[in-house]
Amino acid sequence: MSPLALIALFIGVPTILLMAYVFARGSAGLRRYILTRIGLTLPMIFILASLVFFVMRVLPGDPVSSALGPKGTPEEVQRIRGQLGLNDPLLVQYGRFLGGMFTLQFGDSLVGGHRPIVDEMSERFPATLELVIPASILALLTGVLGGALAASHRKDALDYGLRIYSVIIYSLPLFWFGLMLQLVFGVWLRWLPISGRIDPVLGTTLVHATNLYTLDSLLSANAPAFQSVILHLILPTVTLGLILSGVFVRLTRINVIETLQADYIVAARARGIREHVLLYGHALTNAMIPVITLIGLQVAILLAGAVLTETVFSWPGLGSYLVERISSRDYTAVQSVIAMFAMLVAFISLAVDVIYSLLDPRVRY
Amino acid sequence: MTPTEDEDQEHPSEAWETELAQVGFLRRILNARRWYGADWWFVAISTLMVLAFIVVAIFPNLFSPYSPDDLVGPRFLAPGAHPALTVLIVPKDSPVNTLKDLAVAEGATRPTIGVVQGLPTGGVLNEQAQKIDNQIKNESGALRLRPRINRYPTLELLLQAVAAGEAQAAVVQSDEFEAVSAQFSTLHEAESVTGEASSAGGFILGTNDIGQDVLSRLLWGTRIALIIGFSASLVALSLGVPLGLVAGYLGGAFDRLLSLLMDSLYAFPGLILAIAITAVLGPSLFNVIVAIAVLYIPTYYRIVRGQTLSAKEELYVEAARSIGASNVEILRRYIFPNVIPSVAIIFSVNVADAILTGAGLSFLGLGLPPTLADWGIDLARGQRFIQVAWWMITFPGLAIMLIVLAFTMMGEGLTEIFNPKLRER
Repeated sequence: MSPLALIALFIGVPTILLMAYVFARGSAGLRRYILTRIGLTLPMIFILASLVFFVMRVLPGDPVSSALGPKGTPEEVQRIRGQLGLNDPLLVQYGRFLGGMFTLQFGDSLVGGHRPIVDEMSERFPATLELVIPASILALLTGVLGGALAASHRKDALDYGLRIYSVIIYSLPLFWFGLMLQLVFGVWLRWLPISGRIDPVLGTTLVHATNLYTLDSLLSANAPAFQSVILHLILPTVTLGLILSGVFVRLTRINVIETLQADYIVAARARGIREHVLLYGHALTNAMIPVITLIGLQVAILLAGAVLTETVFSWPGLGSYLVERISSRDYTAVQSVIAMFAMLVAFISLAVDVIYSLLDPRVRY
Repeated sequence: MTPTEDEDQEHPSEAWETELAQVGFLRRILNARRWYGADWWFVAISTLMVLAFIVVAIFPNLFSPYSPDDLVGPRFLAPGAHPALTVLIVPKDSPVNTLKDLAVAEGATRPTIGVVQGLPTGGVLNEQAQKIDNQIKNESGALRLRPRINRYPTLELLLQAVAAGEAQAAVVQSDEFEAVSAQFSTLHEAESVTGEASSAGGFILGTNDIGQDVLSRLLWGTRIALIIGFSASLVALSLGVPLGLVAGYLGGAFDRLLSLLMDSLYAFPGLILAIAITAVLGPSLFNVIVAIAVLYIPTYYRIVRGQTLSAKEELYVEAARSIGASNVEILRRYIFPNVIPSVAIIFSVNVADAILTGAGLSFLGLGLPPTLADWGIDLARGQRFIQVAWWMITFPGLAIMLIVLAFTMMGEGLTEIFNPKLRER
């Protein structure tokens, strides 16, 4: 499978399907809303990409000579600059960069084997997905359940405990939390591995079809590899997921408390509907609407968190790729990864807003 | 928001307002309610914590036992453990108590001191003997300390030799001697060779991989963290607030363009943007501050712009305009005071965020020069030794958490003080 198709499969296809569905089923107002929302997304990506490009170019320092180091002769530097098109006028380079973003052709890496960056990214991207998706699910589950529990046990010890949890989680540096989990579960108890995606020995037995190791090991019915993949996933997922859960606890709690005071809940209670049905069936579903908007805002934090989590756990994803390439001064790769992140943030928040507009009919531009 | 809580009924919002109009700032602080269900003492505690951190950041030298950069102890010493001293072992009836007592007149038989082969004690002995020799040579001139150093294959053989009088003294590590001292009842521990007392040189939080004191680095790291937090937030504030005021007040194309830019910046993962900027600028404290400041400009901009938009519709602004006040004056005297409370709240939370981001950057090895006493750098360093030294990663992270907690709590407390009607949001 080509790298381009892979990335499109992971992000593009679900987003487009969702939009098409909403567009076909929705009212004229909803259609207008979605078009406006798309209209706002494109300039955002454009601005961020331009910002990254100009920050990388305008600020002092030559990427090629710093990538080559003291070994590079001026002729060598000039030759590679010519090859990479860095001697062209700035505007030409800018145009090429923007064009590259839309076709996902980011150019070649400045270091190592000078491979196309899109190849390198598509090797790394599934690892990030495999981390980010379970982490978001964990964050949502613990956050929403915790918030609902806190709201239903208002002013109990449980409520205070959960609120303190959400404050402390907010102040915890993610990387330190990861290190502490590594220390306790990896070093002291020796229950879980502390780095990598799979046991290196088992890794050689794995067939790399999608680079999503859970999927790969399941598809090839490789049980020991699957077990190793899951064990390696636990600590990074818990680190990223719990750090994100704090803000969900807080928001869900407030919304459930407010919803529980609404008239229709009082009416339902008067009709004798049981308390837990009220809480989980009536109040929670309505309280979830603002929480969904929060998911859109959390995408940025999720990605920044992924960079740190991947570094702590030596997880070979897009985030650790970014950090590696910064250390080796591969500016082409750096600007491409950041452009990639910008597109991810923009598309996911677009998708979240569309889902939101489906769930809450009051939302219109 | 429906006021259903008991407290709300006891203090209807009108009562709050009149009361607050009459009392001063201190009273407002005392009246601050419900920070996560807690009372004003939560605000007091967080303020005290913030003050404590600031004091430590200004005078780290008063609190830290060592310099943060000096190699002051053995490597990987656990918290509370005492470093093993290099001590002189002599027979109990020997008059010798210190290395200096072994000095003899020029030309007399040089004393024999034993060490165990291959241990660093030999080097320590040589160095100290030379130092003392130079010292006494200048003092009296008659005495010299140039011992003959005998190397023994094991500690047992060495101590037997001293017990038998073959060597006048032995130089060993105190903990190694203590382990076997029962077998050599005729020997005892004299003073330490280097002149350190055994009670001195404690390392409350242990030492790191090159023998620096973890506690001292922790305390000095407070300074870096607060410099980053405060300067980055101040820079962001001094750019974001005027931009927000002007954009909100003027409106039009300028406002729309700037808002689009700020919204894009706001939506983007902050840490990743900071990574990009520091990657280009290179590692230094100043560059970290610049990178983080850029991230937080939109936070101020958005709030200030929104408040300016609503404040400029107020009647008193209309009145000021009608008496001929200039735009600058309206912004400064009539609109700006409206945004001060929210800016103060954002500032406090912002300092916490900036400290977290700064620590994240230096953890990734991107922000600061790698030798600086900074919490993020120390954590990154400690990660490599996670198997041997838990204290290297535990304490710097704890410090980050506490300082962020303090500033966040203070921000939340300020929200309560400035918006007493606001429920737990």
